[in-house]
Amino acid sequence: MFSLSRRRFLEAAGFAVTMAAAQGCRREQPENALPYVVAPEGITPGKSQSYATTCSGCPAGCGVLASVRDGRPLKMEGLPEHPLSRGGLCAVGQALPLSLYDSHRLKNPLKEGEKTDWETADQEIAKSLDQIREKKGSVRLLTSTVTSPTLQQSIDAFLETFDDGRQITLDAMSSSSILAAHELTHGIHLLPHYDFSKAEVIVSFGADFLGTWISPVEFTAAWSSRRVPTPDHPSMSYHAQLEGRMSLTGGNADHRIRLAPDEYGATLVHLKKQLARKTGTGIATEELPTSPLPNDELDDLVSRLWAARGASLVVCDSQDVSVQTQVNAINELLGNYGKTVDLAQPSFQRQGDDRALIELMEDLKAGKISALFVAGTDLTHSFPNRKVLESAIEKIDLVVSLAEREDDFASLAHWVCPDHHSLESWLDAEPVAGLINLYQPLVRPLGDTRSILESLASWSGQKETAYNLLRKNWQQNIFPRAKDKPASFRTFWDQTLHDGFTEATSEEVAGEFDPAGITPPNSESRSEYCLELYQKIAFPDARHAHNPWLQELPDPTSKVTWDNYVCVSTTMAKTSGIGTGDVVQIASSDGAVQLELPANVQPGQHDRVISVALAYGVKGTERFAKIGPQWLEARPTVAQGEQVGKNAAPFIAVRNGVVDYLRSDVQITKTGSRRQLATTQQHHSLEVPKHVAPHGAEMREPIQETTLAEFSDDPSSGKPHLHHHEGGELWPDDHKPANHEWGMVIDLNACTGCSSCLIACQSENNVPVAGKDEVQRQREMHWIRIDRYFTGEGDDVDVTHQPMMCQHCDNAPCETVCPVLATVHSEEGLNEQAYNRCVGTRYCANNCPYKVRRFNWFDYPQPGELETLVLNPDVTVRSRGVMEKCSMCVQRINEGKIEAQRLGQSVLDGQIQTACQQSCPSQAITFGDLQNSESEVSVAMKSPRRYGVLEEFNFRPSVSYLRMVRNRESDATGSGGDHHTQGGDHE
Amino acid sequence: MPQVQVAIITHREAIMSETSSLRPPLVTGNKSLTDVTNDICAPMERRPNGLWWIAFLISLSLLILGIVAVWYQIVTGIGTWGLNKTIGWGFDITNFVFWVGIGHAGTLISAVLFLFRQKWRTAVNRSAEAMTLFAVMCAGIFPLIHMGRTWLAYWMLPYPNTRGSLWVNFKSPLLWDVFAISTYLLISAVFWYVGLIPDLATVRDRAKPGLRKKVFSFFSLGWNGSVRTWNRYETVYMLLAGLATPLVFSVHTIVSMDFATSVIPGWHTTIFPPYFVAGAIFSGLAMVLTLMIIARKVMNLENYVTPTHIERMSLLMLSMGCIVGLAYGTEFFMAAYSGNPYEQFVFKNRALGPMSWAYWTMVSCNVFVPQLLWFKFVRRCLPLVFVIAILVNVGMWFERFVIIVSSLHRDFLPSSWSSYIPSLVEIATFVGSFGLFFTCFLLFCRIAPAIAIAEVKGAASLPKQDDQRSVNVESAA
Repeated sequence: MFSLSRRRFLEAAGFAVTMAAAQGCRREQPENALPYVVAPEGITPGKSQSYATTCSGCPAGCGVLASVRDGRPLKMEGLPEHPLSRGGLCAVGQALPLSLYDSHRLKNPLKEGEKTDWETADQEIAKSLDQIREKKGSVRLLTSTVTSPTLQQSIDAFLETFDDGRQITLDAMSSSSILAAHELTHGIHLLPHYDFSKAEVIVSFGADFLGTWISPVEFTAAWSSRRVPTPDHPSMSYHAQLEGRMSLTGGNADHRIRLAPDEYGATLVHLKKQLARKTGTGIATEELPTSPLPNDELDDLVSRLWAARGASLVVCDSQDVSVQTQVNAINELLGNYGKTVDLAQPSFQRQGDDRALIELMEDLKAGKISALFVAGTDLTHSFPNRKVLESAIEKIDLVVSLAEREDDFASLAHWVCPDHHSLESWLDAEPVAGLINLYQPLVRPLGDTRSILESLASWSGQKETAYNLLRKNWQQNIFPRAKDKPASFRTFWDQTLHDGFTEATSEEVAGEFDPAGITPPNSESRSEYCLELYQKIAFPDARHAHNPWLQELPDPTSKVTWDNYVCVSTTMAKTSGIGTGDVVQIASSDGAVQLELPANVQPGQHDRVISVALAYGVKGTERFAKIGPQWLEARPTVAQGEQVGKNAAPFIAVRNGVVDYLRSDVQITKTGSRRQLATTQQHHSLEVPKHVAPHGAEMREPIQETTLAEFSDDPSSGKPHLHHHEGGELWPDDHKPANHEWGMVIDLNACTGCSSCLIACQSENNVPVAGKDEVQRQREMHWIRIDRYFTGEGDDVDVTHQPMMCQHCDNAPCETVCPVLATVHSEEGLNEQAYNRCVGTRYCANNCPYKVRRFNWFDYPQPGELETLVLNPDVTVRSRGVMEKCSMCVQRINEGKIEAQRLGQSVLDGQIQTACQQSCPSQAITFGDLQNSESEVSVAMKSPRRYGVLEEFNFRPSVSYLRMVRNRESDATGSGGDHHTQGGDHE
Repeated sequence: MPQVQVAIITHREAIMSETSSLRPPLVTGNKSLTDVTNDICAPMERRPNGLWWIAFLISLSLLILGIVAVWYQIVTGIGTWGLNKTIGWGFDITNFVFWVGIGHAGTLISAVLFLFRQKWRTAVNRSAEAMTLFAVMCAGIFPLIHMGRTWLAYWMLPYPNTRGSLWVNFKSPLLWDVFAISTYLLISAVFWYVGLIPDLATVRDRAKPGLRKKVFSFFSLGWNGSVRTWNRYETVYMLLAGLATPLVFSVHTIVSMDFATSVIPGWHTTIFPPYFVAGAIFSGLAMVLTLMIIARKVMNLENYVTPTHIERMSLLMLSMGCIVGLAYGTEFFMAAYSGNPYEQFVFKNRALGPMSWAYWTMVSCNVFVPQLLWFKFVRRCLPLVFVIAILVNVGMWFERFVIIVSSLHRDFLPSSWSSYIPSLVEIATFVGSFGLFFTCFLLFCRIAPAIAIAEVKGAASLPKQDDQRSVNVESAA
């Protein structure tokens, strides 16, 4: 019989309580937010802290200031002191916080697609690696460009443990021909560092240096520094762009010549010959094919370049090494080396080596590879022949991916060992010789991921933390290179960590020009079509396809979101009956590669050129099918079984030892079906359709422009002859500004249309993603839009960009019509929207002449719970049924005012910056207090180039624009008063 | 003094009962006063016929469809409509202005024609007033549901609140609308009800004791048909007519200011108040004609709503159509004369742009088609008049659509130019408003005399009773 004594009962009870308590000793995520017991020094809850770090969007290595609030990185801003980016940051960089809080990032390592832990992964990978070491197998590590000295050291250390270990660099968009060409002409395999700020004449053959080429933010900052003519110094650089597709850079050029990419070589040879004639050197000896360029155009380029020798720059994005050698020869003839083209302090921003890649492909075919590691690159979208890879993978003993997400390759790999997001990890970067950036972690890793440094160290058999590895390398290798010899490593480290970068000495690389290296470009006969694969601004590589902000970013040139498409010229559209939205099939002549995509008729496109963007059709983007509001008539953003756009990478070819993005062996056919593109702008021209245009008002004039020649004569040239309001108000001013009067000036001459401000605003102001269907319904939510217009005759169009946001009119038409006073004028000149009060009549939006108000048609769902962490707590998340619009970052204004008040001083000029202004790579936006006559914005307001959009209606906008100046003699190419327009009107 | 009063009354009687052999009789078919009562009360005293049931079920179905659509829209968001960042108003405000316009004929016929002693109005004024009431109800729904946050609609009222200094914006035409529409609804309802009282008493007197009698007793407010009652009644009616008359002009004037006070080319026009009033009366007359031509057939009231009535209404409609046509022309002239390129563009774009089909539908229906009414045989051919009235209704709906949507779709900056396609929910809501209107109207035909019995008797000089028939107690004189 079981009897229970009192003592026994207490024992049992005690055991039970202990066990229950022990049960609770598991490591769990804390469920409740608790206050700090001991508050970290210098952290005020609710106040953001900025940390200098580096952007990981692409290998360009721009400096960023990441603001962190209550442990959450929220906003990426340009680091003003950074020598490359100079305070600018592109759209991709701005969008990084959202990719940090991406719920689809891997949270733990995977073994054959199944969840596992690091210990198992390390043990088993180490075991396999030991076997490979024993049998002396070949190990290949495939990476994208590695600019990090510490990571490079770790990679080298790891690969050294094998008899045949090699790193292969594969860029999303390779520039290896530039490196290869310099090896031929200068004997060094390097990418020179281009300095656009020293160039008075820029001739670019297809290089989209303001948009996607190598280091766009740096180049934009440098380029725009030479694009601001003042009445005292009416000068600016001259920029000619010769290109096949319409790029962002082409749209900003003073002179744009349509030239198919397969004609670059022949043109460059002629250019070189004429320049050589001027110098008297005889390096041009090849037999010349006829120049694709008319003689007068060529002569003009030659004379301009020659006049600016030593301060000119010729760049080209061709992957043909022989073409690049011609470019080198021209830059050499012009004496640009050492001036605008720096080889002594080269760039490391693109290191892709296509020859090594081709060798790898052969090794894979031959089954020679025992282990393959892939880090930082999505092979589906950059690897030339993915089938080779897929068929070879079965023969490989060990396949490891270090991808953040389960991309195409990761699903083939035996192991996926996810790397941290760059905002979670320690790392460094040396984008340009002598400039070393630091990355610092700003948040505890959200998942059980591991830095690539730690993974490699662990597989090399020396477990170490990333921080220690980095510090050790810096102490040993970077500290000795420090420029101003700091007292101790600790001071050096702390200072660098604070600054985000340091300037260090670097080995001077000497390369002597050797004309023997110049190879004549192959003069292939011109094909019927020329397919050009390109990158969109939003997607320097396929990783970013998971970022809905970037997916909904309208392409600066086409204004299309959520899709890639086939760009065709207006002439081709006419002759083959293709219209925007018609699905066309492009196929290689052998039929091996086929792709069906909607067409986009692109004014300015070369007649033979067909262009398609890469980095679409990314695995995992099916997830966006239901992004945006779901209702009765909602159409999915991504159709069943499809991805966002289609992958054009199968068209990437290997040719003459390089990865080539041009294809001549393609055919284009209309399929007969249609697919509507989601564009944010439907009417692309400033011209009113002819049949409804009133006489004398054929053009709308929100954008005013002039030429440099006219500007030199009359700084206020370009002003339209309209009946302007002649002062004198009927009513007394009922809202005189009090202490401040906020205003903004946007320099249209500096603005390139890069759309960085758009994402900056979206990130700062919690602007929701609406989804493709909503964009098609013209209901995107962006507070700032960039109006893009095509003007000009035929296919040779001019492009203008105009950032347009709430103009904060002093006589605001929206304010008088709101029945409930939900939109009112502040005493500081702002047009304020009180979301709480708004009942949603939309009268204000109707009455807004600039159409900048955005209505919350629905409650916009967040893409996921984790994604809500990206929301800025300073800005209300608007509910359904209320109107919203640009607030001129009123939260920043108030923060600045409070801070000034706390310090007992007045608000200093430049202390308050709007989000769009802060990260503008070309510093086109000036914001400040108009009451302070010394402020930068007040000075800009006095510019003779200043004008207000629709000023003649006396809305008195607080946002002004500075007239665009094109470096032209006269308005020969169709700018100015009387021009005709070619622009699709897709209605 | 009593003599003076008598004199006035006698004089008035003389005018009211004046008949001319030149004018066609207002009531045909040799009806006696008793016949009038019997004929008009008959439809509401017998069970509804099959035609009524079919019409009612269709209307009710449409109403339910509309309710579902509105419910879905309120629960989901305004995004269920086809509006966009450029076009903030579409079907919603088009329907609102359309229905308000329809609502104008009632007051015009009841009040203005009453003041002008147009006796033929008596055949149509009751149903016109009822129509006004229901049309204004339909109209009122649209501004309510077009709000992003309908549940906060009461914020449009200037009521004392605890939200600090928050108050409505008296500068906003939308607020003026709130006052204008609510006033109009109130006055129309009172006017309609006061006019009904003697007839309700007639129905009461004819009813057998029971619920029906009690209900009609309550609503006839103890009417006893005494001279004193009649005297007070007519004074009140006259006063209300005087009060309602300015509303005919004010309501649509204020509605037009929603557009006229804005800055959008095509909206910003000083001609809008008279233009809108004329248009409103035009559309209202068309709607009254539509309804009366059906009702006289369905309810056997051919002798009360005679071709003469229809002809006079047609003439009014024709004159209004001409005023509206003049307004369309004036708009174009003003645009050309103003020298404002945006204004000029809007009108060229209306006529020739992507929405020109809507513009030409409007012009054809409102200006060209009514010109047929110059011909007497057209005016007296009821099927033709019916078709013309329907077309005018369509045209007037398109007028509002053209003004609202075609002005918005291409305004100042070409980057924002857009187009508009209504969504299913929007169409269902529009159809639902017709459901509401006809449901109410059909119910009205069942519960109240569709023609003002007392007024018809007063206006037409008829024999007191038919010799062969027994005499019913008449409460009306």
